Amino acid sequence: MISLDKINHSYDDKLVLENLCLNIDDKQLTCLLGSSGSGKTTILRLISGLETPLSGSIDIDGNTLAKDGKNIIQASERNIGFIFQDLGLWPHFTVYKNIAFGLMEQKSSDIEMKVMDMLDYFGIKDQMHKYPHQLSGGQKQLVAIARSLILKPKILLMDEPLSNLDVKLKRKILDYIKNLKQKFDLSIIYVTHDHREAFAIADEIVLMNNGKIEESGSVEQIKSSNNEYVKYFLEY
Amino acid sequence: MKNLSLIIIIFMASIITACNSDSNVVVVYTSVDQVFSEPVLKAFEKETGIKIKAIYDTEETKSTGVLNRLLAERNNTQCDVFWSGDPVRTIVLKTNDIIQPYNSEMAKGIDAAFKDTDVYWTGFSARARVLIYNKDILSRADVPQSIFDLVKEQYKGNVAIANPLFGTTTFHISAIFNALGDDRAKQFMMDLKANEVIIATSNGDVKKRVMQGQVACGLTDTDDAYEAMKESDNVDIVFLDQDGIGSLIMPNTVNLMKNSPNAENGKKLIDYLLSKETESRLAISCAQMPLHKGVETPQDVTSLDNIKPMSIDYDKTASKLQEIQLYLKNWVENN
Amino acid sequence: MDSIKHINIKNGSNSLLGFNSLLFVIYGLFIIFIGFPIIYTFGTVLFENDLSNSFKLLNNATFSLLFKSLILASSVGIISTFFGTILGFLLYKTNLKFRSFFKIVLLIPLFISPYILAVAWKDFFFFLFGNSSIISSYFGVIMVLSLIFTPLAMLIIGSALSNINSQIEESALMLVSFKKMVFSIMLPLIKPALITSFVLIFIFSISEFSVPAFFGVKVFTTEIFTQFSAFYNHGLAIIQSTLLIAICIILLYAERKYIADAPFLSVGSKGTNNKMYDIINYRKLGQLFLIVWLIISIVLPFIILFAQSFKGGMHSFIKAFNLLLPTFTNSISLAFVAAVISVFIGFIAAYFSIRPVRVYKSFEWVLLLIFAIPSTIYGISLIKFYNQPEFGFIYSTSTIIIIGYVGKYTFISAKLISNAIKQIPNSIDEVSQIQGISIFSRLSKILIPIILPTIFIAFIISFIFSLGELGTTIKLYPPGTEIMPIKVFTIMANAPQALISSMTLIVFSVTLLMISIFYFMLNPFIKKYHSIND
Repeated sequence: MISLDKINHSYDDKLVLENLCLNIDDKQLTCLLGSSGSGKTTILRLISGLETPLSGSIDIDGNTLAKDGKNIIQASERNIGFIFQDLGLWPHFTVYKNIAFGLMEQKSSDIEMKVMDMLDYFGIKDQMHKYPHQLSGGQKQLVAIARSLILKPKILLMDEPLSNLDVKLKRKILDYIKNLKQKFDLSIIYVTHDHREAFAIADEIVLMNNGKIEESGSVEQIKSSNNEYVKYFLEY
Repeated sequence: MKNLSLIIIIFMASIITACNSDSNVVVVYTSVDQVFSEPVLKAFEKETGIKIKAIYDTEETKSTGVLNRLLAERNNTQCDVFWSGDPVRTIVLKTNDIIQPYNSEMAKGIDAAFKDTDVYWTGFSARARVLIYNKDILSRADVPQSIFDLVKEQYKGNVAIANPLFGTTTFHISAIFNALGDDRAKQFMMDLKANEVIIATSNGDVKKRVMQGQVACGLTDTDDAYEAMKESDNVDIVFLDQDGIGSLIMPNTVNLMKNSPNAENGKKLIDYLLSKETESRLAISCAQMPLHKGVETPQDVTSLDNIKPMSIDYDKTASKLQEIQLYLKNWVENN
Repeated sequence: MDSIKHINIKNGSNSLLGFNSLLFVIYGLFIIFIGFPIIYTFGTVLFENDLSNSFKLLNNATFSLLFKSLILASSVGIISTFFGTILGFLLYKTNLKFRSFFKIVLLIPLFISPYILAVAWKDFFFFLFGNSSIISSYFGVIMVLSLIFTPLAMLIIGSALSNINSQIEESALMLVSFKKMVFSIMLPLIKPALITSFVLIFIFSISEFSVPAFFGVKVFTTEIFTQFSAFYNHGLAIIQSTLLIAICIILLYAERKYIADAPFLSVGSKGTNNKMYDIINYRKLGQLFLIVWLIISIVLPFIILFAQSFKGGMHSFIKAFNLLLPTFTNSISLAFVAAVISVFIGFIAAYFSIRPVRVYKSFEWVLLLIFAIPSTIYGISLIKFYNQPEFGFIYSTSTIIIIGYVGKYTFISAKLISNAIKQIPNSIDEVSQIQGISIFSRLSKILIPIILPTIFIAFIISFIFSLGELGTTIKLYPPGTEIMPIKVFTIMANAPQALISSMTLIVFSVTLLMISIFYFMLNPFIKKYHSIND
C-alpha cells in the first residue's frame, strides 16, 4: 500500500497540495482524475521521488520514502516506473536501446532476452532499429511503457500518457494498460483529466480539485456521488 | 570518443613540451617595427648563441602596448632590454624608476647629446622628422621648406600630420614648444588648425595619404618616408627649416631594465645594438642615420653631417611633453 | 513548447553529491584563476590609490563621449538586427536558391579581424572616390561594424525563426495574409531573439576599439586607450572601463529580466517543423538582396585584399607564408586547448545556470562580467595578478594565454550550451533518474550526446575567437612566443600593403581549414547520435 500522509507542497509560494492524505491499494489501477492544476501530476512526482514534499510523509508497504521535507529513499532506488506526458523517449537511441539502456547501466544479465521479450509482448519487434522520431504516436507510447517496465517495477505511474492519441489508438493502448496489472504484477497510478478514460480502466478513482481530494471510490461510487463538484466535473 | 580524447591529450602534451625554458636567453621588448628590429635581433642570436625572446609592438596600439606592459610588469620585471624607436618612451620608464644605468663601451663614439646624462639610456641610429610630398601635386618650387610654411593659405586643407597625442609626432610638437616658447607654439598650433590640417591616425597613415594624393604633403619620420619612396615614384622628401631651427633628429634608444633577470646577456645585447654593425644594418633596412662616424651607408641615406639638426634637450622635451599632453588632447578633440 | 519545464536535479543521491562537489571545484578553480585576478586589479585600483583626481576627470566631456558611444553602438545594434532579420528570414524561412551556401558564406566577416576589414574598406573608398574622408567618420565606423555584426544577428534571428512551431504560422495564415502574418505573428514571436541580437551587438560595438581608432573617430574606448597610452593613467582607464562594464551588465540584466529564457543561437534538436515559404512575388528581389549583401560584405573586401596581395606577383604571399609558418602549430594548439577548456567549463556553468539555486547562477554572471571587460584592461589585470615570482610557471609560459582565452570566451560557450539544455524536455532526464542511472551516465550518455551539435558549435566559435584574439594576447604573450594574430599585427607596422593583405588571406585560410578539419573529424560522432535530424 502506498500512503501519503498530511502532504503539503508548493511551487514558488503557490500551494498545490494542501494537507493531503491518500491511501492507494496494491495491485489496483487507481486513477487520479481532475482538471489541470488540481495537483494530480504533483502526486506522481512526489511518489516517484522527483520532488520532495515540503511536509508530511510518504510510505510504501511500511517503508518511509520521504518525511519532513526530506527524501529518505531516492528516486533511483524506489523501483518505480514513470510514463511522462511527453514520454521522454531518448531521441538519440533506437527503440531497442531505449528499452535496454536501464538494464545496461545496471549491468544485468540476459539483457537481449529480456528486451526481446518485452518487444514481443508489445508487438514492436519490427521497430527495434528505428529511432523515436520514426515511430507513430501509438508505437512511441508502447516503447515508453516497455521501457518503464523493463526494470520490473512494483508500481507504474502514468501521467496522461494518451493525451496526444486519437480515439481508436487510445482504446487499443487502454486495453494494453488494463492487462499490464496482471501480466507484470503491478500497482498502477494513472493520471488523467478525462473521466471516460478513467471509467474505462480504473479499479479505483480519486477525484481531485485544487490540491484536495473531493471524492474517491470505485467507478460506480463516483458516478453516483452527490458531491457538487463531482457532478459538475462529470458533466464535461 | 576515445579518438577524440587522444587528440586532446596529444595537443595538451605538445603545449607543455613547448614551454621548455632556456637559460641562455635575453628578453627584449621593442617598440621598433618588427620588420626592422627582428633581423637585427636574429643576427645577434646567430652571432652570440644567446637566444632572443622578443616582444614587438603593433601599429594598432600606436606602439605603446609594450611600454604599458613594462609599466604593468614593474613589480616583477620580465624584460632585460627595452629598445625604443625614440627617447620619449624610455624617459617615461626612467621617470617611473624602472630602468638602470649602463655605460656601454661600444657607445664611446656616440655624441653625448644622444645619451642620457646618467647613461640610463643610450641613443643610436637616428631618424629625422621630414616633410613628405606628392610630386604630382606640388612642383619642386611649391614645396614648403619650413614647418611654418604649413600654415600658409596655399596649403589649406592639404597638409597631414599624425595624431599629436602619440608617437614621434608628440615628441616633435613638444620640441617645437621648447624651441618657440609656449605662446608662439600655441599660436602655431592654432594657425595649423585654422589652415585645416588633416589629423591622420599614424605616421604610416600620413605617408599613405600623401602617396595616394589625398593631401599634397605631410610630416612623417624618415623610415616611413623611405618606405614610401621605395613603393612609389611620386613622392619625395624635404628636411625642413635647414635655414632656421633645423630638423628634429630622434635616435633609437636602448636601456637595461631594473632587476633585469638576465642582466649580463642584456648588456651584451645593448653592446651589440650600439655597434657600428647594427647602425649600418639599420641604415640599409630603414634608412636610419648612424650616430657613429664612418659607418657605411647606402647612397640615398642622408648623413647627419648634411642636416642641420634642431638643438634639443631630450629630458626637457619629454617633460614638456607631459605638460602639454592635455593641451594637445583638447587641440585634437576640438577639431 | 511553453509547458516544458527545465531539468532540475534537486535530489542528491550519493553520486550526485560527488558530482556537485566536482562542479564546485571547477567553479572554484575558475574563480581563483580568472575571477580573482580581475577583482584584485579593480580592487587595488579603485580602493588603494587616491583616485579623487581621476574621478574629477570623469567630467561632462567623458559623459558626452559615453553618450556618443551609446548612440554609435545602438545604431550598429539596430542596423545589424534589421538587416540580420531580413537575411535570417530569407535564408531560414524561404526556399530561395543556394540558401545553404549563403548561410555559411555570409558568416565570413565574423572570422576576420575588424581592423583588417576597416583597412580594406578605407582603401576601397579611396579607390572609389579618390578620398577616404567619407569613411573616416562616425558613419564609416557604423557602416563597417554593421557589416561585421549583421551575420551574428542573422544567426540568432534565423535560428529563432526556424524554431517557431509551424502550426502557429499555419493557423495564422488561415485568417490573414502572408505579410500580415509575418508582421503580426512571426516578428512578435521572435522578439526575444531580436532583443538578444541587439544587446549582444551593442556590447560588441561599444567595446570595439580598433575600427574607430583606425578611422580616427573618437569614442569611449579610444578615450580609455588615450588615458592608457598617452597619459599612462591606468587608474582613470580602469574607472572608465568600469563604467563601460556597468552599462553592459545593466543591459544584459534588463535583457535577462525581459526574456527569461530566450533561445539564443539555439541549435535545438527539438522537432518543431520549420515551415518554408515560397515568396513568389519577391523571389527575384530576395535573391538580389542576398547577392548584393554578399558582394558588399565579402566579395568587395576580398577583391581588395587579393588585388593588394598579388599586385606584385606571388612574392609577397610567399614571404607572408614563411613569416607566419612558425606561428601555426603554436596558435592552433593554444586555441584548441582553450576551446576545449571553454566548452568544458561552459558546460558546467550552463548546467549550473539551469538550477534553481542562486549561488549556482552566479557562475554565469561571473563569466558575463569578464566577457564585458575591454581586452586591454583584462590583459593588464591578468599581468598585475600573475606577474609574481610564485606564478612564473603560469606567467612565463603559454598557460597565461590559455587563461586569457578561456576567461574571455567561456561566456559564449556557456550561453550556447545552456540554451541547448533548456530546449530538452525535462522528462528525458527524469526518466533516467527514475531508472536509477548514475549522474555520470545521464550526462555522458543522454544529455551530452543530445546537445552534441551545440557543443560542437560552441567549440568552433571559441576556437575561432581564440585563434584571432589580439587585445588581451598582446599584453600576455610570453616573450619569444609566436602567435598568429600577434605576428600579423606586429609585422603590419611599416610593412608593404601587399604583405599585410597576404597575411590576412593566409590567416583567413588557416581558420577556414581548421574549421573544415574539425567538421570532418567530428561529423561522424554527431551523425552517429543525430541520424534523427536527417
